[in-house]
Amino acid sequence: MQLSRPSPNLPSRVIILGSAGFIGRHLIRHLRELGVPILAPPRAEVDLESAQGLGPLRSLLRREDAIVVLAALTPDRGRDVRTFMANLRMGENLCSLFADFAPAHVVYVSSDAVYDDGANPVREDSSCNPSSLHGLMHLARERMLAHVFEKSPGSLALLRPTLIYGPGDTHNGYGPNRFLRAALKGERIALFGEGEELRDHIFVGDVCRLIALALRHRAAGTLNLATGHSHSFRDVAATAVRAAGRPVAIEGAPRRSPVTHRHFDVTQLIKSFPNFRFTTLDEGLAAKEDEFPK
Amino acid sequence: MIGFVGLSHLGIVSSLAAAAKGFEVVALDARPGLAAGLGRGELPVLEPGLGALFATHGNRMRFTDDFTLLGGCKVIVLSLDIVTDDANRSDLSGLHTLARQAAQQAPRGATLVVLSQVPPGFTRRLSSELEPVLQNGGLHLYYQVETLVFGEAVKRALEPERFIVGCADPALPLPQAYAAWLAAYGCPVLPMRYESAELSKISINVMLAATLSATNSLAEICENVGADWAEIAPALRLDRRIGPHAYLSAGLGIAGGNIERDLVTLSALAEQYGAEGTVPRAFLQHSRYRRDWVLRALHAAVLSKQASPVMAIWGLAYKPNTHSTKNSPALALVAALRDFKLRLYDPQAHLESAPPNVELAESALAACDGADALVVMTPWDEFSAIATDGLKGRLRRNIVIDPWGIWRHRDLTGEGFQYFSLGRPPR
Repeated sequence: MQLSRPSPNLPSRVIILGSAGFIGRHLIRHLRELGVPILAPPRAEVDLESAQGLGPLRSLLRREDAIVVLAALTPDRGRDVRTFMANLRMGENLCSLFADFAPAHVVYVSSDAVYDDGANPVREDSSCNPSSLHGLMHLARERMLAHVFEKSPGSLALLRPTLIYGPGDTHNGYGPNRFLRAALKGERIALFGEGEELRDHIFVGDVCRLIALALRHRAAGTLNLATGHSHSFRDVAATAVRAAGRPVAIEGAPRRSPVTHRHFDVTQLIKSFPNFRFTTLDEGLAAKEDEFPK
Repeated sequence: MIGFVGLSHLGIVSSLAAAAKGFEVVALDARPGLAAGLGRGELPVLEPGLGALFATHGNRMRFTDDFTLLGGCKVIVLSLDIVTDDANRSDLSGLHTLARQAAQQAPRGATLVVLSQVPPGFTRRLSSELEPVLQNGGLHLYYQVETLVFGEAVKRALEPERFIVGCADPALPLPQAYAAWLAAYGCPVLPMRYESAELSKISINVMLAATLSATNSLAEICENVGADWAEIAPALRLDRRIGPHAYLSAGLGIAGGNIERDLVTLSALAEQYGAEGTVPRAFLQHSRYRRDWVLRALHAAVLSKQASPVMAIWGLAYKPNTHSTKNSPALALVAALRDFKLRLYDPQAHLESAPPNVELAESALAACDGADALVVMTPWDEFSAIATDGLKGRLRRNIVIDPWGIWRHRDLTGEGFQYFSLGRPPR
């Protein structure tokens, strides 16, 4: 990742597309705390799925704007071809807009689902061979945007977060948020197998701070958002139980699939932002909605 | 009389070694002032024993920039080190020029020897290019593998393990003058086809890379499972299949430029011929990964925990006893730490230009004054001779990152230091 501004400087305005989601709501709050003017048009106002729906955004857009693209139909809204094509249409419409009028900086929040499932440790140059339509959609959008920005004076940052957790997560996927919810309700935590799989989980507040750093430096290129430390699901469950402060059982189950691990080599992130401090799993799971650990 | 053409590291050491074996030597380089400076004993490369070699045998050396002096040499050695770019690709253009100039000045029946680092196919192509000159002059063209090691070059030049000689026809005996020169070293001479000899050079470096890569890979596992590579390596050296001189010291990837060049060449050959090239590419990738070990350790111990830390860095050279910084992990570290104040010391190597965040210290201990952590990037002997007691009171925080383990035999943790070293868990 290249930092166009070695001395950090926040953009004069940030437009967030997809601000109603889990990351979007946290990002708005974080950027507001930093004093950045924000425009977060709701879907009713700017509909990325139709070419005409971008008209209002085009009329608002200024050359010096930075745009954070979070908008996507996530797998919980559908894993089928229809969802995939709807996501691609959003990408197509955005690319048409940027080809016509490119802002100074676009930060596209992609996913680690673009990588081959066998990539381990994952680094930015690992093979991209997504096994899901969701990953394929992000990879296609990345390539579409990169194609447009090849001929543009603007900068394009592609951020690929791994598993994100934190307060306010609307998804209930297997991992920290589901475990914490169960523990808070006093319900047992059910693991796949004995929860041996190692995964890297990044706190949503860290994702927002890294997006803000990418904006400050007008970063260009690709960067994985991961901590470099992987934990077993059993350890994550135990951490969730500690955070909930209630005695909750953690139960294993007969294993149906082989154990696989995933680690990230975060050297590029350290090189880009050398004094970045990651929130620990203990800190992140203990975090309240409105008071993130700094 | 033997002529050496091209006085970079290889040419200087090899020509002085020939003089030490009793031969009269013409040492030629046309770059302005270089030969004259060498004639005055100004050695532009650092090698243990090189100054003494010059003092003892320099009287048999004639340094010159005059190609006509090659007219008296029965053997002419092309000894220019091949420069590589940032991607470790070779630039052979200078060698072509030198070969043409040398062939034109060579006396009838002389032997031309390519000692420079060239890829397979080079010498046969050169033979075709120079065919009229070679034929008219009755000249012979050979390729000879060089196996100098920076920091040990003099010893290896005087006592080579063997000579690997690439020939147009290995069945023919070597020309008398050339054979006499090689015989002076008292080691086996292995004649073979040009291509075999050229690939032998690459093979040696790829085998070294394999051992280095395996060592570094295993060292990383040691860091995670509680093993200590320093305990394992001696056991491996006693295995006949591995050997006492195997490259089993854990390090920060592969540096210096030569092994990386040959891995890039092998990778390119595999691509060209449709062979499986995963192995050399994996060695290069693993090397890049391990190069940044210190940065990751610093991030965990210092950068993510403290605002505006100051780091003391000992060493810039890619290894001790050389001033070479080619592909040096220290340079990569300095570049990555651009936002932090660094206090830097190396007894021989220098930065071409120090960036504003870098302060050059007068001594190793002076570099530690007010630093939050000490990082040893080159294990120079003078560093390991420093008592760790002297660090306390100079460092603000007692954090030592010592990848090479110059103090691994001391209990630095017991002395109150946070200590990180390759091949064993942090202590």
